[in-house]
Amino acid sequence: MSAPGRIDAPGQLAGRPLEEWNGAYSKVESYFHALRVRNKVLLGQLVALVLERAMHRSAAEPQRSATELAVEEMDHLVNAWFAQVLQAAASNAEMLSTRGRMALLLADMPGRWQDQFLRPGPWPDEFVLAMRDGYLRAGPNFQLANMTPRPLDLGPIATLTQWSRFPYVKMAATWILFGLLLVALFYVTHH
Amino acid sequence: MPSEPTISNPASPLVMSQIHRVRLGWRIFLFYSSAVLLTGLVSLLFADLLWRTGWSSSGIVLLNLFIVLFLLISLGCMHGVFGFVLRMTHDRRLTRLADYRSRTIKGVSTALVFPIHNEDAARVCQGLRATYESLEKTGCLSSFDFYILSDSTDPDKWVEEEQQWFGLVHDLDALGRVYYRRRVSNEGKKSGNIRDFLRTWGTRYRYFIVFDADSVMRGETVVDLVKLMEANPSAGLVQTVPALVNATSLFGRIQQFANRLYTPIFIPGLNFWAQGFGNYWGHNAIIRTEPFMQHCDLPQLPGRKPFGGLILSHDFVEAALLVKAGWEAWLAYDLEGSYEEAPQTLIDNARRERRWCEGNLQHFMVIWAKGLRGSSRLHLAQGIFGYLASPLWLFFLLTFNWMLWYEGQTGLSRITVRAFTPFLRVTATQHAFIIFVICLAVLFLPKVLALVYLAFDKERRRAFGGLTNAIVSALAETAFSALHAPLQMLWHSQFVAASLLGGGCAQWESQKRTADGITWTEALRQHWGHTLVGLIWGGAIWRLDPLTFWWFTPVMAGMVLSIPLSVLTSRVSLGQQARRVGLFLTPEETEPPPELAALRTGMAALDEEAAIAPPAPDSGLAGVVLDPYLNAIHVSLLREKRQNPDFARALSNLGVGQPEVRTLCERLLAAGPSHLDRREKLLIMSDADQLSWLHRQAWLRPSATLARWWQSQIRQYAR
Repeated sequence: MSAPGRIDAPGQLAGRPLEEWNGAYSKVESYFHALRVRNKVLLGQLVALVLERAMHRSAAEPQRSATELAVEEMDHLVNAWFAQVLQAAASNAEMLSTRGRMALLLADMPGRWQDQFLRPGPWPDEFVLAMRDGYLRAGPNFQLANMTPRPLDLGPIATLTQWSRFPYVKMAATWILFGLLLVALFYVTHH
Repeated sequence: MPSEPTISNPASPLVMSQIHRVRLGWRIFLFYSSAVLLTGLVSLLFADLLWRTGWSSSGIVLLNLFIVLFLLISLGCMHGVFGFVLRMTHDRRLTRLADYRSRTIKGVSTALVFPIHNEDAARVCQGLRATYESLEKTGCLSSFDFYILSDSTDPDKWVEEEQQWFGLVHDLDALGRVYYRRRVSNEGKKSGNIRDFLRTWGTRYRYFIVFDADSVMRGETVVDLVKLMEANPSAGLVQTVPALVNATSLFGRIQQFANRLYTPIFIPGLNFWAQGFGNYWGHNAIIRTEPFMQHCDLPQLPGRKPFGGLILSHDFVEAALLVKAGWEAWLAYDLEGSYEEAPQTLIDNARRERRWCEGNLQHFMVIWAKGLRGSSRLHLAQGIFGYLASPLWLFFLLTFNWMLWYEGQTGLSRITVRAFTPFLRVTATQHAFIIFVICLAVLFLPKVLALVYLAFDKERRRAFGGLTNAIVSALAETAFSALHAPLQMLWHSQFVAASLLGGGCAQWESQKRTADGITWTEALRQHWGHTLVGLIWGGAIWRLDPLTFWWFTPVMAGMVLSIPLSVLTSRVSLGQQARRVGLFLTPEETEPPPELAALRTGMAALDEEAAIAPPAPDSGLAGVVLDPYLNAIHVSLLREKRQNPDFARALSNLGVGQPEVRTLCERLLAAGPSHLDRREKLLIMSDADQLSWLHRQAWLRPSATLARWWQSQIRQYAR
């Protein structure tokens, strides 16, 4: 795995230290782990595919790290694949990414279709159908209606609700407590 | 765009016939008159005792307090006595009014709703799963939809709920049958949560069944509830009597045992006088949607706390409003298969009571509302006195102590005169003892009757581990209750005082717990005041009159021993030990029904997982940003939610879509979640577009530009 037409110096790959590519490998692999691609062979292939594309860009963009290039390639690759499978326009990358990931989950890619992930078409019909029809419904169609509270006629008692507005309630309670304290003090000192 | 139909007027209920009204009047008269008669006679005896030992103004206060308190315990006793008699005979009850079992529920739509607020999402989903699977076995699943209605304000809980919900629908293949919705704001708390559901989807369903976060119901019971509603078109609400289950601590198991042994005696008594004018306890009940929407949207009460504002204990009021509108509310106490869980420690229990206390005291306003049925007012009054009784009892004891002290201060010797009732040839001490014994009898008679009822039922006897075990357990439960009651008295008095002074339902700090229960330090922190009150009060009585001190020992013991009582009863190990020796066994422990067995298996697996990897702070936020699937679920739900104009408006009011949210996202990436408060995190998590953006940025940006916290979170995905 190296950029075409280039001979690497010892300890380097695509003109960068091996350690840098190791970091890139790790990040890409982490994302595929997060997507629950658990098969090690498939995982290795996918990461290698992404890194190869990153290495192609490596010489032209020396100011950017290998990891940056790799995750960017991974993002492009995954989104392009979503666009193909879902037959959706890739104009809004974030929207497409969300829809694609949701479709992967609903189609149970981690459980049933790991080998199809990022593979070029044609894909099995069942897989394509599961991906395209997958739609997360958190509730049935809204059937909005109104509810209006009916006032309770509380009669004269309603005036009682104003009692807490009385500004001296807490103060009066404090005075009563103070008074009780004085009574107790008097009792202790006079008996 | 969804249509917006308004609710049509619900069909008029079949108003209770005149003959039934008259009979209900007689039932109420008979029931309450029995309690009043008993109270009158014993109060006369008490007044006589006061007369013999010297009539005084303090004595008049004491007598009045005695009358009120004795009336309350008499009502409890009458519930037990009437219930016992009715258990032995066959009273008029909902399940006997019409043949409901032969009904079909095909084409009848019912929603099962689970309103939750920062609950353990895993437990909620396991409970839902148990009910779902049980319902599936009835073959009637297609008539039901399930809704998790979240009001959670904790960002991590929100994500956990979505994760658990998706796992559940995936496992059950129930997408389109089990739904999840989180509200943007908590307006109206639980009743607002239900109202929001009804406004959005209510007109799709003829009935809805409300569950609590820890509720489980058997499939047949759910189907029976719908059939009961179909067979009784005048019923607006049917409340089941949930059995307490799944307790593990000693306290939890004692409460559970008491619930299972005594409730079958008390509830028929309640049903005797309430009949179709029953009550609603907030969950494990079926409600007819249309009249509920028409009549039960609760108004704000005028004024401020403690009585004004949002109606907190909404359930009683909703039942009262339904009944006021001519619909019936029944207690289906003979339907088995309805369960809930109870607090596992004394402190947890008090925490829950504090919430209820504030709500029930607020009913003092509602009770006067014009047009309410008398029976609804009785339900409300009993709820109020459930908490008011404690300060009254405290006041009673203090008044008695005052009299004792005053008598000591006068230096006069006590000269007793002959009893007012000349045939009562007893000394004053014997006279007092007779009253004491009557009080004990009134308190404990229902417990004895519950055991007698058990003795006559072979199947139940076996389910409680045999009659001997049940008797020993009841004695132990009574001893515990005697120690617990003074603590409840202090707690309730404190809650009532706090509520009336407008202190409200202040947040209680979370408990320091071990796997086996609460710690000694935590118990000391919560109970030092109770212990101190017990020591000082006990010491004062001892100084006044050592003889009286011994009469007060049960009261003082509960306070003085509150710390060890709280710690030891919170112990799971002691709860299990008691179970091993056959104490506090309940039918659901000896023969677990399939729905509970399934729940326990599911929870055991989850507990193991949680023990291996307990969730870290902000784990929800990390998941919703980094995990490709959690992010997709969350964003998809938000996007779907935006289609509802109410939600879209609420999101907009929250600030979603504003440029400030992007600034917050940048701060989140650069500095980590510790630099954002909860409101800011919730705002970011409510913005679908920003979350999609965050997901890509967190993975695409060079590590050096991300906060260390993000780098460490991303490393967790590397295996």
